[in-house]
Amino acid sequence: MASLQGYVDHRVLLILQDGRAIVGVMAGYDQKSNVVLSDSKERVYSMEEGVEEIPLGLYLVKGDQIVLIGELDEALDKAVDLSTVRAEPLPPIRY
Amino acid sequence: MDKPKREAILDLAKYANERIRVKFTGGREVTGILKGYDQLLNLVLDEVEEQLQGEGEPKTRSLGLVVLRGPTVTLLSPVDGWEEIANPFVAQE
Amino acid sequence: MLPLSLLNAAQNKPMLVELKNGETFNGHLVNCDNFMNITLREVYQTNAEGDRFWKLKECYIRGSTIKYLRVPDTLLDAVKDEQSRAREAGRSARGAHVSGAGARGRGAPTRGGRGAVRGGPVRGGRGRGRGA
Repeated sequence: MASLQGYVDHRVLLILQDGRAIVGVMAGYDQKSNVVLSDSKERVYSMEEGVEEIPLGLYLVKGDQIVLIGELDEALDKAVDLSTVRAEPLPPIRY
Repeated sequence: MDKPKREAILDLAKYANERIRVKFTGGREVTGILKGYDQLLNLVLDEVEEQLQGEGEPKTRSLGLVVLRGPTVTLLSPVDGWEEIANPFVAQE
Repeated sequence: MLPLSLLNAAQNKPMLVELKNGETFNGHLVNCDNFMNITLREVYQTNAEGDRFWKLKECYIRGSTIKYLRVPDTLLDAVKDEQSRAREAGRSARGAHVSGAGARGRGAPTRGGRGAVRGGPVRGGRGRGRGA
């Protein structure tokens, strides 16, 4: 069974079913993959402008809404200048 | 913070014979007078009005006496104290 | 730290709840249960488009319809402090072993069949009664 234990206290990227991308420090989780994310920021991607980072604070995200949890390489992430990034925003999941 | 496990966090007794608003998965919304309920949140509502969604102006249809299945209930609130207002967030950024 | 612990600690605090349908509810948490069903008071509801608003005295929201909850940042530290204080008290009283971050008090989620999340893959948690 894959465990989220290894990600605790690490900076992670969460992708939700509605296509949102959120980064934050994973403070906790449970068996249903509900996640507590602290110091979280939503990253809004667009083709016209650079990435907008919206600070969100302390977040409790329901596990059934989470598509992906990825451990961020903080050094690599800091090296990226978000204002130069152009990308299509992720569409929401459709079944 | 030890709570008894079986005790519901919503005591529907306080809404008995009052009009309540109920929303369902799928997006439907009704109001009705609470006549009965159980732990699973199955409800018996009387004089039920369904608020039809997606209309230009709000339309309702009357459904009379209805049994509503608990598993599909997403939200429940009393009609008393429910009002539409202007944007309450001054600078919500 | 368990999400439900955070939620329980948030009683009487203000929070924002977004539902799967995009509506948002700003209010104070009155109560919550293991399914993450919640009751809020002094609620401001916003529709999914963000152009209509309602005020509600109180409401009950099904956990299964919640997308996420935003809570005051200060709550995290408050809960962590309380947990470490409780652990210190336990340690000095019993000298019990500490079973690692997040593993304490795992007994909370869905006990007993009724209303429990069913039809999904059984995440091999402990104590599921499968002769583990």
